[in-house]
Amino acid sequence: MGNPSRMSEPLREALGSLLLAMADDEVLLGHRDAEWVGHAPILEADIAMASIAQDEIGHAILWYSLLHELGWPDPDRMAYFRDPPEFRNATLVELPRGDWAFTVVRQFLFDYAEKVRLEALMASAYRPLAEAAAKVRREETYHLMHSRAWVVRLGDATEESHRRMQAALDLAWPHALGLFEPAPGEDLRVAEGIQPPEAELRARWEAEVRPILEAASLVVPEAEPIDGGRKGQHTEHLAALLADFQLVARSGVGETW
Amino acid sequence: MLVYRVQGYPVPIPAQAPPPQEGPEYEARLEEFEARIARGEKIEPTDWMPEEYRRQLVRMISQHAHSEVVGMLPEGRWIPHAPTLRRKLILIAKVQDEGGHGQLLYRAAETLGPTREEMIEALLAGKAKYSVVFNYPTPTWADVAAIGLLIDGAAVVNQLMLAQGSYGPYARAMKRICYEESFHIKQGYDAFVALATGTPAQRQMMQEAVNRWWYPALMLFGPPDRDSVHTPTLLRWRIKTKTNDQLRQEFVDQYAPMVLRLGLTIPDPNLRYDPETGHWRFSEPDWDEFWRVIRGDGPCNAERMAARRRAHEEGRWVREALAAKAARQADGGGNGRYAVAGL
Amino acid sequence: MGDTQWPVYEVFLQEKRGEPHVHVGAVHAPDPEMALILAKEQFVRRGRCVSLWVVPAEAIYASRAEEAEELFASALEKDYREPRGFRVTERVRRWMERHGESLPDV
Repeated sequence: MGNPSRMSEPLREALGSLLLAMADDEVLLGHRDAEWVGHAPILEADIAMASIAQDEIGHAILWYSLLHELGWPDPDRMAYFRDPPEFRNATLVELPRGDWAFTVVRQFLFDYAEKVRLEALMASAYRPLAEAAAKVRREETYHLMHSRAWVVRLGDATEESHRRMQAALDLAWPHALGLFEPAPGEDLRVAEGIQPPEAELRARWEAEVRPILEAASLVVPEAEPIDGGRKGQHTEHLAALLADFQLVARSGVGETW
Repeated sequence: MLVYRVQGYPVPIPAQAPPPQEGPEYEARLEEFEARIARGEKIEPTDWMPEEYRRQLVRMISQHAHSEVVGMLPEGRWIPHAPTLRRKLILIAKVQDEGGHGQLLYRAAETLGPTREEMIEALLAGKAKYSVVFNYPTPTWADVAAIGLLIDGAAVVNQLMLAQGSYGPYARAMKRICYEESFHIKQGYDAFVALATGTPAQRQMMQEAVNRWWYPALMLFGPPDRDSVHTPTLLRWRIKTKTNDQLRQEFVDQYAPMVLRLGLTIPDPNLRYDPETGHWRFSEPDWDEFWRVIRGDGPCNAERMAARRRAHEEGRWVREALAAKAARQADGGGNGRYAVAGL
Repeated sequence: MGDTQWPVYEVFLQEKRGEPHVHVGAVHAPDPEMALILAKEQFVRRGRCVSLWVVPAEAIYASRAEEAEELFASALEKDYREPRGFRVTERVRRWMERHGESLPDV
């Protein structure tokens, strides 16, 4: 399966809603990560975080481009000219930047979610998606090394770092579970071999992150997922984020920049 | 054979008395040092050097490093608002490079004695200087383009000269920085052209930003030669190879046409091309303002320092935590995820 | 002061397999693994790299610059250690010229 024009309309919609969720997750996380540029705890960490922000936005452009091939507007149109209810990101990525502990924990939970998702999508029946997933998965290797290194160090380094990391995990965890809220059309996608069920991805993800969090002396909270993002239900933070994000593009001053 | 530790100030082992800074032995060493510079050789950290050479370099390189790091702020504040995904990526990469340049420069300065911690403490305590230009505000997106073209343009003119300087670590850092700066100018010019050839509102935005940044760009080269107390020494030891005024002239010659070509103006009634000399004539910036801003009384000095201090304070627990963790694990030898380099 | 910028690790980068690792700069890092992670983005944002080394800066010792001229100078002729110190090809040629007709055709 690789030709959008030969795809049934429901399948195109189902595929699109997965890509949209993935693209919106990445573009907003990249935006949040980039809020550290110039403000990180030490120069070297500032530089590394800026690269991660660029990578996430680069991935978003890739997913938006696949979406564009399916008939959606172009990547800039998608990122800059939609309102909060039209976004399909998990709420995890719209939460404010927070402290370095929250940034590291959020990035860690997201990177591993992306890892299991990409590894599954490398076998997707939709060839353009499988090929893109393989490409992005390679870049993700550095992210995993980076966020894991931060988590295992800060988790039990000092009393303060432990306290901050635990608080960050308590806040982020239920929102991170929302990464696995199925985007509309999951049954069809699974039936067509585009992706495995989200529940399966979540199980693989938990199997990866729990041991690392435990090794970092952090306790995974008992919490229900905070879903809704994949249906366009967001926290109040998304509107503020988009006001920042879209400020110049929507100023009416020009069309091209 | 005596050995030197490479990190920081070269400490002879066992410790020796510091070399004399006057008398016949000093004179002989100075002569050798200056002859080496005259031959175009580089000075390396473990070489003998006059204390004044060391002091001037520490002053210049640390100021340069501070300028890169503080310089992340005026542009960085537009990263969240960049108007396309491509511009957002470019701007993150560009501001990231500035951090990278600061990192390289702090390291070059460390080879002369001070630690990065000491230099940063001096900056945050308000005891260190950085380029005045970063104390000016960036009220619109067009300021990002104006900085990219004019400030980065001026910086490259300056840095190409510094890359020829006599101190090895500084010149090496400059080489790599100049290579990356060529991307900065390209992106700045690209953003500038996009606005200058855009809608009337975009053109106006760009014009206003040029008006704001023209004189700060001229200030980037420092005070006029007649007031620059350090210049003769810096030239003699090839810490610099051109004077502030020479560099300023080079900049105007190169960049004024780029602005004028697209029908924008430069806020200087005296600006004109002089066919006899082949150079552009221009008005000097307001030097009283320059000295005021240097002394801390610019439009954004307080804001910039507050942002740096906040980042430093909010990051303290992170730096302390990792240092504590590393100290605990020192005996255990890491976690085994990295390989030991095999020769 | 209770603060630190972390120790310095010198960074060596190999651009291609088969090439030597070359010193490219240093990072401040709390431990070797973080040094590698942080060095990657400071020194491989652009350009090629197949391998990075990080070395605690305090583990590096250097010869003294003031002794360099004497230490690394070679006062007497030591061309017997250089390939250019040998004239063997010339001797073979002369010998072959003298004995040409009695030599096997190889």
